[in-house]
Amino acid sequence: MNGGWRAWLRLFAVQGTWNYERMLGVGMGYAAEPLLDDLKTVDPVRHTEAVVRSAEFFNCHPNLAGLALGATARAEYDGVPGAQIVRLRTALCSPLGALGDQLFWAGLVPLLVGAALVAVVLGARWWAVLGFLLLYNVARVATGVWSLRTGLDAGMSVGGAIAKSWISGAIERVGPAAGFAIGVAIPLVAAWYLEVIGWPGALGALAVAATGVAVTRWFGAALTAVRFALLALVLLVLFRWVLP
Amino acid sequence: MTDLSGSSAIVLVLWGTIVGLDLVSVPQAMLARPLVAGTVAGWLAGDVEAGLRVGVLFELFALDVLPVGAVRYPDYGPATVAATALASDSPWQFAVGVSAALGLVLAVLGGFSLSAVRRANARAIQRHSAALAAGESGAIRRLQYASLARDAGRAGGLTALGLACAWALAEPVAAMDRSTGLGLTLVALGCALSAAIGGAIRSAGRGPRLRWLGAGALVGLLAAALR
Repeated sequence: MNGGWRAWLRLFAVQGTWNYERMLGVGMGYAAEPLLDDLKTVDPVRHTEAVVRSAEFFNCHPNLAGLALGATARAEYDGVPGAQIVRLRTALCSPLGALGDQLFWAGLVPLLVGAALVAVVLGARWWAVLGFLLLYNVARVATGVWSLRTGLDAGMSVGGAIAKSWISGAIERVGPAAGFAIGVAIPLVAAWYLEVIGWPGALGALAVAATGVAVTRWFGAALTAVRFALLALVLLVLFRWVLP
Repeated sequence: MTDLSGSSAIVLVLWGTIVGLDLVSVPQAMLARPLVAGTVAGWLAGDVEAGLRVGVLFELFALDVLPVGAVRYPDYGPATVAATALASDSPWQFAVGVSAALGLVLAVLGGFSLSAVRRANARAIQRHSAALAAGESGAIRRLQYASLARDAGRAGGLTALGLACAWALAEPVAAMDRSTGLGLTLVALGCALSAAIGGAIRSAGRGPRLRWLGAGALVGLLAAALR
């Protein structure tokens, strides 16, 4: 089976056709095309069926999509019945989504953002931004290569490979680290803005912050942080307009 | 706001397009994070400090977002680019608040535009359903490229709209009295802090992460006091 590197590159755009019906499905089909090319000469009918399956509904975290892509492509070459491959795809959606969300969106990204914010406040400026981009993308690229290779090697037994992999251990470590980094960053960032404004202004901003935390928790989804912010800004403008 | 030349405006629209594409479609390299989008936009507009101040502010708002599943969330990338353009060349204490207001409106619009693109993608797939059922690889490729172009158009349009609004607002903002400008900045900062704190507490849950968040906050407070 050839086309691994082209498939890996195409995985960067796996969410390109994101939609509410097939979600990542068409993007997965696009990434699968180079992997399935060799099947065309071996078994054209099987190739057509595989292409149809590759673009059906699928959803998971984009950085772990390679696991499902590799596993299903391997299964197509191994002659696994189509219905079984469809079941494998469906079964992988939730675990890969949950693992990827915890590892990246709730773990690595806030950890690196928190660290970058601290670095900006401490004067690193451009280096903070470049360091953030470099560290995230090294982790993301390495995960993408590992995902596709593991999927291609494991085929139908990809579930076992995921269970034995480093992912669960990484999630256990990265979550608390992210919490710590964000915890350090928030007071430092607040001080970075407020140190040049003075105590009365600082107390006003902190009062708005406390009010925002309280009311957005109280109202839940009905009053998001952005809605609260827009409301507060409009109220201030009206207040200044009425009492110039 | 910096008196942007035509070429600078085009470069900012291009950067906003890249940033908007990066959020979901390609390559998801975190260029869409406000810290990155704002700093680069500040450099392009000739005021890196404004880019950092606006970028960090929107980064606090973005910490409240967990982009999972089909949830609709604000698109802070192009919004940060336009807000940075508005804040550039002015003292940040008086400009960041108005820029934040513009950016937040654009971010909400960006969230709606993302949903519109997703619905358009679904309609395109329905139109090509026969080709997909026949296993035509060409149809998959065409759908993918058309969807990417759709998202690029969305991001570019959103950035251009934001820059047009920034251009229209530049004069009234320059004429605004400083106490109102400072008040808006303080309110925007307070709201951004509330978003970051709320998001951090929600993400922490009740497990060990909450304890680590608390420990981090203590270290952060100590470091802020010692600065």
